Amino acid sequence: MRKYVDLAMIGIKEHTAYLNSVWANFLAKVIYLYMQFALWNALFNSNSGSNIPLSHVETIRYIIVATVISTFMECDVIAWINGQIQSGDVANQLIRPIDYRFMIFSKHIGTSAARFMMYTIPLGILIAVFYRGDLFIKDQLVYGIISILLAYMIQFLYSLIIGLMAFWLIVTWPLNMLLAAIYKLLSGSWIPTVMFPELLTTINMFLPFRAIYAIPVTVITTPMSFDNICENLGIQLIWLVVLFSLSEVTWIVGKKKLVVQGG
Amino acid sequence: MSIEVNNLTKIYKLKRHQKKTAVNNISFTIPTGEIVGFIGPNGAGKSTTIKMMTGILIPDKGSISIEGLSFKKNRKQIMMKTGVVFGQKSVLCWDIPIIDSLKLFKDMYRVPDDVYKENMASFSEILGLDEFIDQPPRLLSLGQRMKADLAASLIYNPDILFLDEPTIGIDVLSKERIRQFIKKINEERHTTIILTTHDVSDIESLCEKMIIIDKGSLIYDGTLPNLKSIYKTTDLEEIIKSIYLAGEEKYAKIC
Repeated sequence: MRKYVDLAMIGIKEHTAYLNSVWANFLAKVIYLYMQFALWNALFNSNSGSNIPLSHVETIRYIIVATVISTFMECDVIAWINGQIQSGDVANQLIRPIDYRFMIFSKHIGTSAARFMMYTIPLGILIAVFYRGDLFIKDQLVYGIISILLAYMIQFLYSLIIGLMAFWLIVTWPLNMLLAAIYKLLSGSWIPTVMFPELLTTINMFLPFRAIYAIPVTVITTPMSFDNICENLGIQLIWLVVLFSLSEVTWIVGKKKLVVQGG
Repeated sequence: MSIEVNNLTKIYKLKRHQKKTAVNNISFTIPTGEIVGFIGPNGAGKSTTIKMMTGILIPDKGSISIEGLSFKKNRKQIMMKTGVVFGQKSVLCWDIPIIDSLKLFKDMYRVPDDVYKENMASFSEILGLDEFIDQPPRLLSLGQRMKADLAASLIYNPDILFLDEPTIGIDVLSKERIRQFIKKINEERHTTIILTTHDVSDIESLCEKMIIIDKGSLIYDGTLPNLKSIYKTTDLEEIIKSIYLAGEEKYAKIC
């Protein structure tokens, strides 16, 4: 167990090694949130929101919660694995007596903890100071947290799969750039997914992205029946199982196809 | 721990229908406690063989047995007892103080406190590790980084140590210290050491046995004195040069 704690600590230290980048990251979050806030306010004020399925308050609540969650949900796993494969450093990870995927996961947890302390909490305080009004449904908060944890796992497994594909593709970040654009739109981290046109909603039904932002944020911010909550958590669980199985397959295939770069 | 390699083969796929046999049907045995020089010209397949022997790459054919254990069944057990130093790649976390990486290995390999302390004391004494232990690798010189890498790979007392060009780019004095250290480890702990290097003086001062490969095939497996008696000279550099040259000419004829 201690080795995993060590790895998590290394994750924290690595993330905080360059203080300037921490500040820049935090400021980026604040500016992003303000932009979202200003944009949606302008949109609602000009249009009175008649043909938007969410109300003004609900939308603002959604984008605030989504942005706060994004501060610790972000995942560097694809970049890590890509970097290690490209430089050949992956060799040094594969000679260890613990599973490569657990090593990556432990470090990711550390990074997320660092992000939580340095971005989520300060951003939360800023919001508490400047935003008047309730952000979440108190009765649903427990389910919301469960949903966030599931989303966190789904996010990790998704990144792991794309990252591990580098074992035979060598470079997967261009693929990731493409996926990142789709991901940002379909996950609901920019725009609430209920606002999507029908076609997009249908496509989204068959993709895991909405399980990462749209579901947890909705569970936290929108009142819904118990059955409805269970249905949403169920969808996340299914995606968790699907992605876990896929990551196993990718791992088995990847290990066989791996070519370590460099002498 | 002894190592037995049988009919090892690795083929890389380059492009469609293009293949390169990096390692071609190699067999050898390394008994416990020996220091073996594993040499060959650039691109001979040394690193590929080492990567298979450390369980990073899966061989296409053949088997590797370490003290009777195989990577398929006993992967973790072997990993616990194997140390690897790649001269050109660091095992240490780039932005993290050396001490944190060492602590990670202590927990990962379940090193008892007293063994850890003892090893740390000897690393400080011989390698001067204590001078830069609180700094991250990115702030260290190459020689310091190499010493830290050696320490990280030996902190858990491995039974087998793979050294892939451990003295590359290191100054003469540091080289000497690193060699002394390797020798001491081998004498005290009977660690089996496989040394890959292009530095002839590394081999002269450390190895009893030599394995030479070229173009993926084994061309010599025997003792250093024996090799010298075959070529009737004590100049190892000359011997190696003529072996490599013969390999090149053979290749030219085939083309």
